[in-house]
Amino acid sequence: MGIIRAVNLIFDYIRHDEENNKEETNRALSGVSLDIEEGSFVAILGHNGSGKSTFAKLMNGILMPSDGTVYIADMKTNDEEHLWDVRKTAGMVFQNPDNQIIGNVVEEDVGFGPENMGVPTEEIWERVDRSLEAVGMTAYRLQSPNKLSGGQKQRVAIAGVMAMKPRCIVLDEPTAMLDPNGRAEVIKTIHELNKQEGITVLLITHYMEEVIDADRVVVMDGGQVVMDGTPKEVFSRVNELKKYRLDVPQVTELADELKQAGMDLPDGILTIEELVDELAAKLS
Amino acid sequence: MLRDITLGQYYPIDSVMHRMDPRTKLFGTMVYIVSLFIADSLLVYVAAALFLVAAIRMSKVPVKFMVRGLKSIVVLLLISVSFNLFLTPGTPIFKIGFLQMTWEGVEFAGFMAVRLIFLVLGSTILTLTTTPNHLTDGLEKSLGFLGKVGVPVHEVSMMMSIALRFIPILIEETDKIMKAQMARGADFESGNLIQKAKAMVPLLVPLFISAFRRATDLAMAMEARCYRGGDGRTKMKPLRYETRDRVAYLVCFLYLTVMIGLKIIL
Ligand SMILES: Nc1ncnc2c1ncn2[C@@H]1O[C@H](COP(=O)(O)OP(=O)(O)OP(=O)(O)O)[C@@H](O)[C@H]1O
Ligand SMILES: [Mg+2]
Repeated sequence: MGIIRAVNLIFDYIRHDEENNKEETNRALSGVSLDIEEGSFVAILGHNGSGKSTFAKLMNGILMPSDGTVYIADMKTNDEEHLWDVRKTAGMVFQNPDNQIIGNVVEEDVGFGPENMGVPTEEIWERVDRSLEAVGMTAYRLQSPNKLSGGQKQRVAIAGVMAMKPRCIVLDEPTAMLDPNGRAEVIKTIHELNKQEGITVLLITHYMEEVIDADRVVVMDGGQVVMDGTPKEVFSRVNELKKYRLDVPQVTELADELKQAGMDLPDGILTIEELVDELAAKLS
Repeated sequence: MLRDITLGQYYPIDSVMHRMDPRTKLFGTMVYIVSLFIADSLLVYVAAALFLVAAIRMSKVPVKFMVRGLKSIVVLLLISVSFNLFLTPGTPIFKIGFLQMTWEGVEFAGFMAVRLIFLVLGSTILTLTTTPNHLTDGLEKSLGFLGKVGVPVHEVSMMMSIALRFIPILIEETDKIMKAQMARGADFESGNLIQKAKAMVPLLVPLFISAFRRATDLAMAMEARCYRGGDGRTKMKPLRYETRDRVAYLVCFLYLTVMIGLKIIL
């Protein structure tokens, strides 16, 4: 049994009119079940409006399921008494780096979570030191967040979550507003946390190249999980991915075209090196 | 351009005054303001001036930064001085029409001006040597007792520090929207007051929408990081009094006693 378990998750956004009557319901998730193993790196893909953010917000009790259940480390997110433990266990990093940094100084922002949890002062400092070290932002600890680049801000936000010592981190398109350098920076940091600290990562993204190194890829469409497997498995189904309006990595697409043109290549080629090796073997 | 605005007027160097607890500095400033209001003779003003000079020296902030703060009150100063000069009854010096200048007026206006200048300089020391964060912390802690009678002290101070964080971001955003609207032909500069005010609408609407969106995002991010108000919260940087603070309190009390003493004797 995994650290994150979603069972038949359904979520409706309900719009109310002025008299607080239901006016319109919008089903964002319709029956999502997922079981995520502790320590794994899971990527979630999906076209706009497929319900990824909604799913993420259900993971730490920002939204409560309309039906079905989410278990975080065997705690139900909709149990009032467990809400804070759920939020400690599953940290959350959002898309916009500006709108999630609360402190006026980098180190104070990282300390915000532990402060809220009532961690004693000395331990807060230890945690802040460690977290800043882990994301490589120690040199900036006394700066104002406003003076950092987008990638650096996102790393501060990740450090802020780390300092709460969560067992898993849910990141909702943390790189969407960053330039390629910032993106690489952030993705590298996330991978390091996953490998070195053993933190479970749930990464929501639009960028295929960020998904290739994941242990598992989940594709969502129309509020449901439509594909689930290793990157190789998922990316070998190029046509299906296109149906869900997702791009495949360029090499994968090229390999697929070559295959359709009659070349004998294996499915699910993800990196340029792989393709080069295969082609070299074919041509020699 | 707009993003160059710095907030507050903190002068970042290291001095005893900078390291002092914000509560001590708040208390000192208050004592000083009170002392200025009871002052009514030359000797008392001299004592106040000495105290001020000592404080400025201790803060190590260059005097020209101090004086800069006075610019903002020049007009106020001129108005109050001229009112006092001409409208105080007493022995006349000269008379122009219905306006007459009196000896009492001169004396009163002089004290008035000195008092105002000292007041501004005194509180400038506080803002020059204390970061806005520290100031908010200090206020939260000093006014903590108001929490018992239902004043949301923690919430207000949290709001202040969030505002400090977001003002530069919103200023930058205003700049961006302004440029975007100007590229679409908006004109913020010409026309009379009403036309200018109207031109602001396409600036303010997107700004407000974005501010609200940021507020929702931020609230969500704070909740995700277990924020649930001031109860049960610990502090990463708790305020702690050091020896220098105790000494400063003592000095403030002594100063106040001397000032009151002088007032009674003279
Ligand atoms: N606050 C809301 N109120 C009403 N409907 C919403 C709200 N937020 C999202 N929705 C709807 O729920 C569905 C899923 O939205 P969600 O934000 O989870 O998608 P997403 O996969 O994160 O998309 P994106 O890639 O654009 O971030 C969409 O149809 C969207 O219109
Ligand atoms: Mg989203």
